[in-house]
Amino acid sequence: MSAVEVRGGAVYDRGYRPYEGRRGRRGAATFALYKASIRRALGIRRSWRQKVAPFLLLGIVTIPAIVNVGIGYVTRNRSLLDRIQIITYRDYVGVSSALLLFVALVAPDVVCPDRRQHVLPLMFARPLTGVDYVAAKVAAIASIVFAFSFLPQVVLFVGNMLVSDSALNYFTGHLDVLWKVPLSVALLALYYAVVGVAVSSLTDRRIVAGATVIGLFLITSIAAGVLVGNNFRFEGGSPAAVINVLALPLYLRDLVFLGHIDPASPLNGVTNGGLLAIATYVAVLLAGMGVLLRRYRWVER
Amino acid sequence: MFIARPQPPASSLSVAPRSHAGARSCQTGGLVDDGPLLRIEGLTKRYPGATALDDLTVELPRGRIGLVGANGAGKTTTFRLLLGLTHPTDGSVEVCGIDVARDPVGVRSRLGYMPEHDCLPLDQTAADVVSTFGELSGLPARAARQRASDILDLVGLDEARFRPIGGFSTGMRQRTKLAQALVGDPELVLLDEPTAGLDPLGREDMLALVARLGSFGISVLMATHLLDDVQRVCDYVVMIDSGRLVVSGATESLLERTGVVTVDVGPGGNALVTALQQHAMPAVAADGVVEVTIDGDEQLDLVRDVIAELELPLYRLSTRLTSLDEVFLRRAEHTT
Amino acid sequence: MPDPAFAEEATVEVTDVSVWFGAKVALSELSCSFGPGVTGLLGPNGAGKTTLMRAITGLLGVNQGSVRIEGRDPRRDRGVHSRMSLVPEDEAVSAALTARQFVRYIADLRRITDRNAPDDALRTVGMLDAADRRVDTFSKGMRQRTKVAAALVTNPQVMVLDEPLNGADPLQRLRLIELFKQLGAQGRTVIVSSHILNEVERLAERVIVLVHGRLAAAGGHHAIRDAMNDRPRHVLIRSDDARRLAGALITLESVAGVTFDTARDGLVIQTVQARELATALPRLARDTSSRLIEVRALDDSLESLFRELVR
Repeated sequence: MSAVEVRGGAVYDRGYRPYEGRRGRRGAATFALYKASIRRALGIRRSWRQKVAPFLLLGIVTIPAIVNVGIGYVTRNRSLLDRIQIITYRDYVGVSSALLLFVALVAPDVVCPDRRQHVLPLMFARPLTGVDYVAAKVAAIASIVFAFSFLPQVVLFVGNMLVSDSALNYFTGHLDVLWKVPLSVALLALYYAVVGVAVSSLTDRRIVAGATVIGLFLITSIAAGVLVGNNFRFEGGSPAAVINVLALPLYLRDLVFLGHIDPASPLNGVTNGGLLAIATYVAVLLAGMGVLLRRYRWVER
Repeated sequence: MFIARPQPPASSLSVAPRSHAGARSCQTGGLVDDGPLLRIEGLTKRYPGATALDDLTVELPRGRIGLVGANGAGKTTTFRLLLGLTHPTDGSVEVCGIDVARDPVGVRSRLGYMPEHDCLPLDQTAADVVSTFGELSGLPARAARQRASDILDLVGLDEARFRPIGGFSTGMRQRTKLAQALVGDPELVLLDEPTAGLDPLGREDMLALVARLGSFGISVLMATHLLDDVQRVCDYVVMIDSGRLVVSGATESLLERTGVVTVDVGPGGNALVTALQQHAMPAVAADGVVEVTIDGDEQLDLVRDVIAELELPLYRLSTRLTSLDEVFLRRAEHTT
Repeated sequence: MPDPAFAEEATVEVTDVSVWFGAKVALSELSCSFGPGVTGLLGPNGAGKTTLMRAITGLLGVNQGSVRIEGRDPRRDRGVHSRMSLVPEDEAVSAALTARQFVRYIADLRRITDRNAPDDALRTVGMLDAADRRVDTFSKGMRQRTKVAAALVTNPQVMVLDEPLNGADPLQRLRLIELFKQLGAQGRTVIVSSHILNEVERLAERVIVLVHGRLAAAGGHHAIRDAMNDRPRHVLIRSDDARRLAGALITLESVAGVTFDTARDGLVIQTVQARELATALPRLARDTSSRLIEVRALDDSLESLFRELVR
């Protein structure tokens, strides 16, 4: 028997409760879309099958770093000259087929289903404008590409640090890497995000979008190769090298790491090659954003 | 000791109270605007080759409003104009005191939209979708999840909410669509043919839900081709034909009493007609029932007494109200 | 009394038909028939209405039983198709054609030689003015009417229509309902499936109700209601002195329950003997001097009947 006397009883009807709490506007909505797009691309909150491809590709992209560290470890007791480095930081900010496949996979996945399943009217019935939508989608892909390109670099750096004679010396001796890598990876990530998402926005079918992204990169790269010729190392390159949509960010990478165009690249010897590369880069970004804003302006569909 | 009891799902519809919605006025940044829900002035929208809306001027109060259209894409255009997704060719729209042209984003944060077409991502669960759309409406993530759960309770999606939408029936999809429109706690929801594709029972459930929205203080603008739905659920009706306003007014005021009483006494109708005529009441047999014109409610007693005397069974007695169908027909025929 | 599942002068006979798709049984030993006039085909989603319509028009074969149109098998006898038309719910109309071109195309397909047939059909559905506009500029309702015109151009004796009013605005709905009634009155067998029950009430003299692939009810809806006399009826009575009237009514044996319904502002009487109640009511009201403002059966509509059947 309880010593406490229970007084009274009441029934509460839950019914409908209006929302009285904090409510964000465009900024909050855009950020929410950004997060939701990332979740979608990486298959978070969806079935395991959706997660396989992105993370598998991440693994593939990280392999060179691991191998490099492994070899560094195995050869650590040899003299400096004998040590083999498979890959440098600059090389690693590169374009691998894995990265290309990755962009062709995730970029369509964040914009094509919205269009195909006619979800867009629901999106735009919210405090979200076309500009916000584009910004969120591009930022989402850029963030993912950045993360997936940056992580292997971190693995490489930390691994190298640990297998070197002195971790601290390695660290202080490679301070420039600490800003060069993030900057060039960011330039790369933004670029691929804009191109990937812009191309994907043109269609509502993911496979078509992915194939078009890959096709665009391959075709321009082949065309540039043909135009530049095979002897650019000796006879100098050609401005036509910037047509290579796929490899364009690499010229900017070289500018970051080296301060000038890499003599071994197809832009070698072109007057104002660096400026040309930067201008083309900016032009591509603007063109991509132009396409996107046109596709998602929404007013007067 | 107290028990928190969830409200039972609405079942039978015909009891939808038609009083105006509970007192939730439009909130405008702290100031409460008691003005009309929608103020539309001279609204015109022309496309090359067609005029969707032509000089529409109407003021609509809070509550449940039915939007009925004929001959044209008026309703879709109206929704898009309200959401600020299209600019009018001329005229203006104010939602809760906010001019849509000046602050479309502000208007959209007060609206919920349930389109007619399929619009849900099929590979996500209902809970995930509604919660994400809550965040897209500006709610913090935790609040969005909580509200999504509450709203899904409200629309009657139980365990199904954790299954991907791809496997849902039409009824479940419609409920999910309604849920995403409500999750942001809007002041006005725009419903485009909410009962489309639903079988009669699903339709009743949906209409009951819509009717309840009024009691939560949420205004409803429901576009539909079914006047029956409007008559059952809406306090106010707007009819548009070829882009022009045909009729707008409170549903009850549109349904006039005609002064004709319909009486069903089964096979004995003719005897009743004769008897009523003997009492100087104009009566006629039509379609198996008797229609008698009365002059004042006191004559109802006379009708009753005549029937009692003849010992006829009284199956039905009702004052004929015009239906919205008839109102529409009459007005539409005037404008053609 | 003849079984209401079978029409007099039946043109479409469905005998013991079963259809299954893998493990799912869409129709289960269904026997019914359709004759001249308009018959409504009702049922919840997934009850088998579309399957039945496709079986009738020969688009689908039956796994068991038989379907006969005017005595002929629509699967075997190609000739039957000239007597029949199906207007499915979601079939897309070839968008690049004008309405007239589309109807003419169908007429040619079906070898209709009468040159005026397409225009006549378009006039009947009220699309003659818009006949030269492209179908992809049409609203849903106009597309529906074009499809109906195409179905009419062959002058079919049997018409099967799946949700034909879908997307039509209120005026078009009324016109189409009148049209279908007219077609039924001409002696054609018109089978219409629809979810909007109050329109089916106006349109069809007879209904066939399917639930889970089986026949749940058939006949005129008032008659069906009467057949369900083990289920209580609910009668709404509005009066100026409800309580006094209630007191008198509760003494009747035929009254099983009395409820005060505030939302409807009246009494709801529950009874299993509708006739006895109806006969006693005027007398009791007179004796208690209660004015009868409204008397109405709440479950006499096709809607409430449907609810009972499907529950």
